[in-house]
Order: sequence, then C-alpha cells, then structure tokens
Amino acid sequence: MVRTRTTTGKAAVHATAIAAVAALTLSACGGGGNAATTAEAAPVATDRDIELSLVWWGDDDRANRYEEAVKLFEEKYPNIDVKPQFQAWDDYWTARTTEAAGQTLPDVFQMDLAYIHQYASNNQLLDLSSQVGVNLETGDYDETLLGSGSVNGGQFGIPTSTNTLGMFYHQDLLDELGIEPPAEGLTWDEYDAWLREVSEAGADKDPQVYGGTDYTGALWIFIQWLVQQGKAPFAEDGSPAFEKADLVAWVERSQPLRDDKVFFPIQRAKQVEPLGGMQVGQATTEITWDNMLAGYAAGAGTENLGILPVPTGADGSQQFWKPSMLLSSSANTDEPDAAAALIDFLVNDPEVGKIFGTSKGVPAVAAQKDAMELAEGSIDSKIVTYEEEVADLVTAETPLPGEGYGVVEAEFKRLGEELAYGNINAEEFADQWFQSAEANLGGE
Amino acid sequence: MSETSYPSPTALGAGTAPRADRDHSSSSKARQRRRTGSVIFHVAVLAIAVVILYPGVWMLMSTFKPNGDIVGNVNLWPETWTLDNYVSALSGIGGISFWTFVLNSLILAVGSVVGVVLSSTVSAYAFARISFPGRGVYFAIMIGTMLLPFHVVIIPQYILFNSMGMVNTFLPLLAPKFLATEAFFVFLMVQFLRGLPRELDEAARIDGCGHWGIFRLVLLPLMRPAVITSSIFAFIWSWNDFLGPLLYLKQPDTYPLPIALRMYVDQTSISDYGAQMAMAVLALLPVLLFFVLFQRYLVDGVATQGLKG
Amino acid sequence: MSATTTERGQAAGRGSARGTTATSAPARGGAGRSPRKRSDIRAGYAFLSPWLLGFGLLTAGPMLMSLYLAFTDYNLFEAPEFVGIDNFTTLFADPRFLKSAQVTAIYVLVGVPVKLAAALAVALLLNAKHRGQGAYRSMFYAPSLIGASVSVAIVWRAMFIDDGIADQVQQFFGLPGGGWVGDPNMTMPMMILLAVWQFGAPMVIFLAGLKQIPAELLEAAEVDGAGPIRRFISVTIPLLSPVLFFNLLLETIGAFQVFSSAFIISGGTGGPADSTLFYTFYLYIKGFTEFRMGYASAMAWVLVLVVGIITAVLFRTSRAWVHYTGDVR
Repeated sequence: MVRTRTTTGKAAVHATAIAAVAALTLSACGGGGNAATTAEAAPVATDRDIELSLVWWGDDDRANRYEEAVKLFEEKYPNIDVKPQFQAWDDYWTARTTEAAGQTLPDVFQMDLAYIHQYASNNQLLDLSSQVGVNLETGDYDETLLGSGSVNGGQFGIPTSTNTLGMFYHQDLLDELGIEPPAEGLTWDEYDAWLREVSEAGADKDPQVYGGTDYTGALWIFIQWLVQQGKAPFAEDGSPAFEKADLVAWVERSQPLRDDKVFFPIQRAKQVEPLGGMQVGQATTEITWDNMLAGYAAGAGTENLGILPVPTGADGSQQFWKPSMLLSSSANTDEPDAAAALIDFLVNDPEVGKIFGTSKGVPAVAAQKDAMELAEGSIDSKIVTYEEEVADLVTAETPLPGEGYGVVEAEFKRLGEELAYGNINAEEFADQWFQSAEANLGGE
Repeated sequence: MSETSYPSPTALGAGTAPRADRDHSSSSKARQRRRTGSVIFHVAVLAIAVVILYPGVWMLMSTFKPNGDIVGNVNLWPETWTLDNYVSALSGIGGISFWTFVLNSLILAVGSVVGVVLSSTVSAYAFARISFPGRGVYFAIMIGTMLLPFHVVIIPQYILFNSMGMVNTFLPLLAPKFLATEAFFVFLMVQFLRGLPRELDEAARIDGCGHWGIFRLVLLPLMRPAVITSSIFAFIWSWNDFLGPLLYLKQPDTYPLPIALRMYVDQTSISDYGAQMAMAVLALLPVLLFFVLFQRYLVDGVATQGLKG
Repeated sequence: MSATTTERGQAAGRGSARGTTATSAPARGGAGRSPRKRSDIRAGYAFLSPWLLGFGLLTAGPMLMSLYLAFTDYNLFEAPEFVGIDNFTTLFADPRFLKSAQVTAIYVLVGVPVKLAAALAVALLLNAKHRGQGAYRSMFYAPSLIGASVSVAIVWRAMFIDDGIADQVQQFFGLPGGGWVGDPNMTMPMMILLAVWQFGAPMVIFLAGLKQIPAELLEAAEVDGAGPIRRFISVTIPLLSPVLFFNLLLETIGAFQVFSSAFIISGGTGGPADSTLFYTFYLYIKGFTEFRMGYASAMAWVLVLVVGIITAVLFRTSRAWVHYTGDVR
C-alpha cells in the first residue's frame, strides 16, 4: 500500500512536471530532423523578392564595412534584400543560443571555431556542401583551411580569413625608453627577460610603463606553447589531450614575473577595459591575433605599432593559422540558395576584400587578398607582410577546438585574472580549469 | 544627530514647563537656541545635499567637457565648454539612430503604464471592495509575491516566452504588466481604496450601479492620485529596467536606452567617456523631468507604502 | 505590518477594512446575503482575473516548473534530463557559487544596516521642523529613483577609477592611491556606497513614521527627565519599530536582487576576481550565457529558501522588538 502510494505520488509529480515543460520540449526537441532544408541546391531565384538576415559580432567600424559590402551584394542581386545586424562578442553568442533554441538562427551569420562544433552537432547549421559548385565557389580555398569549417563530413562554415598569433610592440613607447623591440626568434625565457628589462626602465615613468601584459590567461597562447613542444592540445573527442602537469608548468613558468610585478598590473587592466595596456600606452608588447592590430592602433592613437612572431620553443615558432570569421547558415533557413550566394559573395568578391582589408584577418581567398590596396606602412600592409613572412614559421596544423571550447576559454581567462590577483596558485588554476573542461569538453 | 532635533532639557531647567520651548514668545535664550539649532540644521542638511548631488552634477557637467578632461577632473565647472559629446551621443551606434532607442524605451514605458494602470486598478477593486470567499488567501499570496525573489521565475518565464517565439519582441516585458504581477502597484491601490468611504459604494448601489459601475463611475475617478503615483513609478521603473531587456531583446534595433548605453560602453574602440556620459544624461532626462514635475506624488507614494503596510 | 494610520485613514477609515493583515481581511459588506453574494463572487473573480491569470501563468506555474528544472540538466536544446539532486551537490562544491553567496551576504549584512542607519539619521535631522524640509526630502529621495540605472553605474565607475574622484580624495588625504574599480577589495565598499547613496526611499518612510509619533509622548518623557538619547531609545525607536521592520524587510529583499550596477561596473564579468559576482549575476551567467537552466533553477530555489528563512526569522523576532500601537493584535 505504501509502495503504491509513493509510486503514484511520484508519477503525479512527474506528470505535472511533464505538463509544465511540454511547451518547451515541443520546440526544443525539434532540433533533430531538418528534412525540409536538405532539398537540392538550385541557382538563386531571381524572379521573386528574397529577404536575408545577416548577423555578425563586432563594433561600429565593422558595421560600416559590412554595410558597404551588403550594398554591393544588393546591386548584384536586386531582388535580394539583406537585413544586417550585429552585437558584441558575448551578447552575440547568448543571442545565437536563444535563436538556436527557437530554431530561428539567421540566414547568414558569423561563426567561430569555438562554437561551430556545438552548433553543427546540434543540427542547427546548414550543410553547405550541396551548394558548392552551385551558388558557392570554394575552388580557391586551401583544403585544410576549408576543412576547419567541416564537422562530421558536412561543410557547416566557410572561413573568411586566417589569423595567426603575433607579438605587437609599441614603437613610440620603446623609443621613449630607449629600448629596442624584442629580437625576432627569441625564446619564451628570453622574452620574459626582455619584459623585465623594459618594466625596470619604465618604472619611473608617469604613468608607469610595463614590458607587456600577462599572457598566461589566454588559452590560445597556452595552446601555441603546447604545440611548440610537439604536444597536441585536444583529443579526437575535443577533450584536453595534455596533462594537468603541462598546465601547471605553463602557469608556473611566468609566476616569477607576476611575483615581481613585471606585467602590466591586473588592477590597471580591469580599469581600462575594454582597452588593453598597450592601447592606453602603458605596456610595450602584447601577444594576440594579428588581425587585432588595427583595433590596437585605433586605441593607442598611433599606427606606429610593429608585429613580430611569437616567442619560440625548442623546435622554432611552430605557429598555426587560425581560420577566422567563418560564415554559416541556419539549418532552418527558407532561402538556402540565396544564403549560400551571400556567403560566396562575402568570401570571394574582390571588392569585398578591398572593403574589409585585414580587419577580419587576411582574406582566405587570393582574389580578395590581392584586391586590397596596401598603402606603405599602413596597418593592412603590416599584417599582410607579417603573414607572408611568418608563413615559413607556420608549421603546425591548426588545433581545432571542439564543442564547449567557448566556455572553457572564458574560464581560462577568468582563472588567469584570479591568478594575477594572487588569489589562486598554479595547482588551483589547473584543478579548476580541468573541472570546467570535464564538464564542458568532449562528447556526452 | 538626534541632539540637533530636540531641545536639550538641561537648558530648559528642571522646573520650566515643557511648553516653554514651543512658545515663540518665550525667553530670548530659547529663541537664540532655536536659531543656533536652525543654523546647525541647515549646515548639516546642506552638507548631505552636496554629497548626494555631487555625482549627478558632476555627470551633467562632464558632458560639456572635452573627452580627455573628464575622469581626472574633480571640478564641476568645465574650463572649456563643448557640445561634441552630445553630437556623438546623438549620432547613434552602428547605424542605429539614437531615436530608435528612445522610441523603444518609450513604447515599453508607456505600455507598462497602461498595463499597470488597467490591471492594478481592477485587481485592487476586487481586493478592496468585493467580498468573496478566498479573497483573504489571494491577498496574502499577493503580498507574499512582493517578498519572492524574482530569480525563481525568470528562467521558466524565459523558457515559456522563448517557446512561444516571443524573444526579441516587447511582449515578454509588457505581458506581466497587463497581468498585475507587480504587487507593489496593486497593494498601493488597495490601500488607497480602503481609505475611500464605503458610503460611496452604497450610494451608487442604491442608484442601481453594479460593481463595474461603482468601479468605473465612482471609485476610478477618485483613485486619480494613486493612479498618477503608480503611473510615474511604472514609467520610471520600465525606463530604467536593465535585466528584462537584457534577457529578452537581443537585436540592437529593439534595444531600449539602458541596453543601448551598455552596448555603447562596450563597443566603442576608443574610450569615449564624454559621449558615454552624454548618453547617460540623455537617458536619465525623462526620469528627472518626471521627478521635478511629480516629486510630491512620488515621495508621498513611498511614504504611504511604508505606513500602511 | 504596521497598523498606524494616516490622516486620510483616520478620516475615512470607519467604513474601510482596518485590520490590514492580509489573512484576516474581514469580509465586510456581508449585509445583503445570498443573491448579492453570488454576484459578488462572480464580480470578484472577474475583477481579479488579470491578477489571477498573471499569478498562475507568470508566478505559480513558473515556480513549479523551475522546481522541476532544478532537478534536471537542461540546456534549451535537448529535453530536460532528470539528474536528482546533482545540481545541488555540484552547487555547494562550486567555488564560484560559494563566492557569489559570500559576496551577496556581505552586501546584505553590511549594506542594509549602513543604509538604514543613514536613512534614519537623516530622517531624524529632517524631522526637526525647519524651513525647506520638503525640498530636502525630495532632493534626498532622488538618488533612489535613478540609483539602479545604467547611467548611474557608468558615472559610479568613472568616479572610482584610477585618477577618478575617489582616488584624488584619497591622495589628498595622503592615503595610498589607486582606483577602486580594479581592486577586488575595494569594489564591495564601492557597491555599498552606491547603495547607501540611495538612502532616500527608506528615509522618506522613516520620516513619515516619525511624524506619527505624538509630540506629547516625547514631552512627557522629557518631563520625566529623559535626555535626548534616552528619549530616542525609549520612545522614538519603539514607536518607530514597525516602520523600521518594514524598511529592514524591504531593503534586505531588495539587496538580494542587485544586478545592473554590478553588471555595468564590472563590464559584464562580475570581476575583478569575482568580487562583484552577486547571486543574481551568477545565476544570470549560468542560466543565460552558459544556458545551464537546471543549474540556474537550483540556484534560484536555494535563494528562495534562504530569503524565506530570513523573512521568517525577521517576522518571528519582530514580535520581540516591533511594537504596534493602536490596534492590538
């Protein structure tokens, strides 16, 4: 009797709960089959009006460039009306997740390596392979580069451009201090020593000038460092392929610099956000993606910034290309043909290449790259020259992040801050990050 | 501080009648005490006023300073005056006009006022004037929702509105207003209605009015002060609301001002404090205007809320 | 709560339901029995329908749903998966959750008393009848109206940044410089100052309460030889206790819900070093940026329990220190 009562009680609770969530599962479970959009690709219809939504992350500068590019596209396809929209990075991904849940992702939108697995494996993205040769040309692409947009055999994103890590330096600041920029090909330890030298020289400046910002909390830089040691960062299923000890070693190797307050202090860094130490003229170097140079120049108020390869490991730089600004389309788009045509236009059209320059990275397609007007000493020409020069150093395969990378990357950054404030040590850093990695990376 | 408020008994002497202090024609000694008391009062109150007002005045004046001269400048008065900050603030963000944000804020705020007034007056009438079984329980629940942390409903509400495809529309922000979920307003009106004599209802009933008639023709017109107070609060709260739009509005052309302001802080590649401040001031302008015009209603509304609990 | 009545209440209060305690709201007007009664029931539900609908759809229903979700793993994409009490066990092992609980607790435990003390002090000051009292009252109230807005958060940040006003004041007094925004130890004082700056709303309520205290009582105490402090403690405070209780309850619950100022001041991160990671903020991050709806629902219910316990404790202890005059319960 008792038994019956509990089970029915449970069943009742369960039934109520089911009723309560019925509405949400109805839509949430729809992610499975999207048979409707797997229809044959056909050339874009020209006999009817088509509306496309186009969404990207970025700032107002990028907005202006997109607007120009869209205008050209609409001239080419007068029956297509493109509705552009944009958000900042964080908001962008919360907005996309919401739309994904409601099956209302935009027709065309920017995608990042950190998220493409998650969206593709949840059946949110349009497989563009059937569009190749119809509305979308990928003939000019390097195979591996294009491969970065494929998940489980489907082509879910087309990369617009490539980035690689680089070390920016602030020439004016270094001139003031009378210090030469770091030598090319220096090791991490040499770089650290150089940082010390600059921070000592800049100690009596007002405001104080530091050698560089703390690079420890950037997951990509850690990955670069791992790759330099011949280690693969991720396993097949996206889980970390390195050991906790590797992470501890990474954090500990830069610890003396934190202890001796060599890095641009975190207290300052938090206050000048969203700018960085280099942009406010208080740090002379920073390691980041090379396409960021334009933004740094705008913030620093000078174009007199230089760019060098990242510090080297035992077997040289071992840099890698990171395909960036992929373009994807929703699995639920009503206009797969037009969406593919828009993606094609944005990645292949030479005029578009001219409009964007290197602001999204160096264009992946040669026609776009060649169309850029590179003024001597301009930011664009610096980045293109850098990528040409560094091409020999790019010897490693791109480590492709899997599902959940976005979350663990943010956690890495957060732990980097805690570390900089001295709230945690290397062990705790590694423990907490692996905890997050376990919860978020690598399959179910 | 209590010592400035009350006359000290030592000065009055043991035998003096307590009335002496209140009597204006009393001894010059007492008058003098009153005067020094008054001086102390004004000095103290003015000091507080300076502290209270400084951030606001500083913000306002900052908008007229050149961009580089804002953060470090403690002085209120700009050395050089400029309107550049307003020019860049009014130029909008990423192709979206500043007025789009204003319009969105206005739609939300006016919609909230309409929703709150319609739903709260009606519900309050039921609570205050109609006796039916269960009313006490409902009233207790209504009061209880005032103490409920909103956290427990935002996630399911979000899931609900999302599943109905209402994200990126104003509906999730307005629907609760039309359904009287803001217990504060219902409560305020219930209290007000309880203060109106029942004889009015009876008289109207004798004249043949039903509940709707009593509500619509007799009580609603008398509820004007409560309706005005509620409207102003509803407007201001909606105007300043951040979390709601943050959750439900993801497309820049649907942003109300607070979200636009936040986007502005995040997305300008150079730190443009001037324009940020100018936009912040513009965003506060309607609130301040309402405050200046209706301060009595607002302050009295708050005061009654506390007393009639 | 308080049973004090305003002038209007006294003038017109005869016919109105005076026992304002919710549950005991007497069904008055029951003079004309059954036919009217039935129409009253119909009218009652008709008039109450917006609220009933809202309560059912937007409060009670969602509460049940989040209670269910708290025991599931749910990310909006796949159907909720029942996981038992996993969310709760993970919660109490999650360092960031514990941090957010700590941050919020400090904010409530320090911020609320300081704010109420400031409100009471200024209310006492303003209660002395002097010219301009009304104007000051309005002026002091103004920050309460705008304090939670994004605009004010932006200004606050600018004031407490390196070389900002707070920094300059510190340096003027020979204290070590540096902005508060980047220092995890100083962001909490900064948030509390922002809360205290909004002392106006409780002050207005205190002031209204003070006006209810009969001058005769204070005078009588004075005749008995009570000094100002004694009068404050023995007469003012007890008579003000219902209002004090009301403010305490309201401010405590309000303090648990702080979000937008922390969001703006920390640039949407809850930093530096999670020092402004308020409970609401962490719930937002878990629920709406990581989309771990089950986990966030578990957090919400933990908060409901905590707030529920605090409210219950406040009501319990209030019997000992809150004195109701007039209507005897």
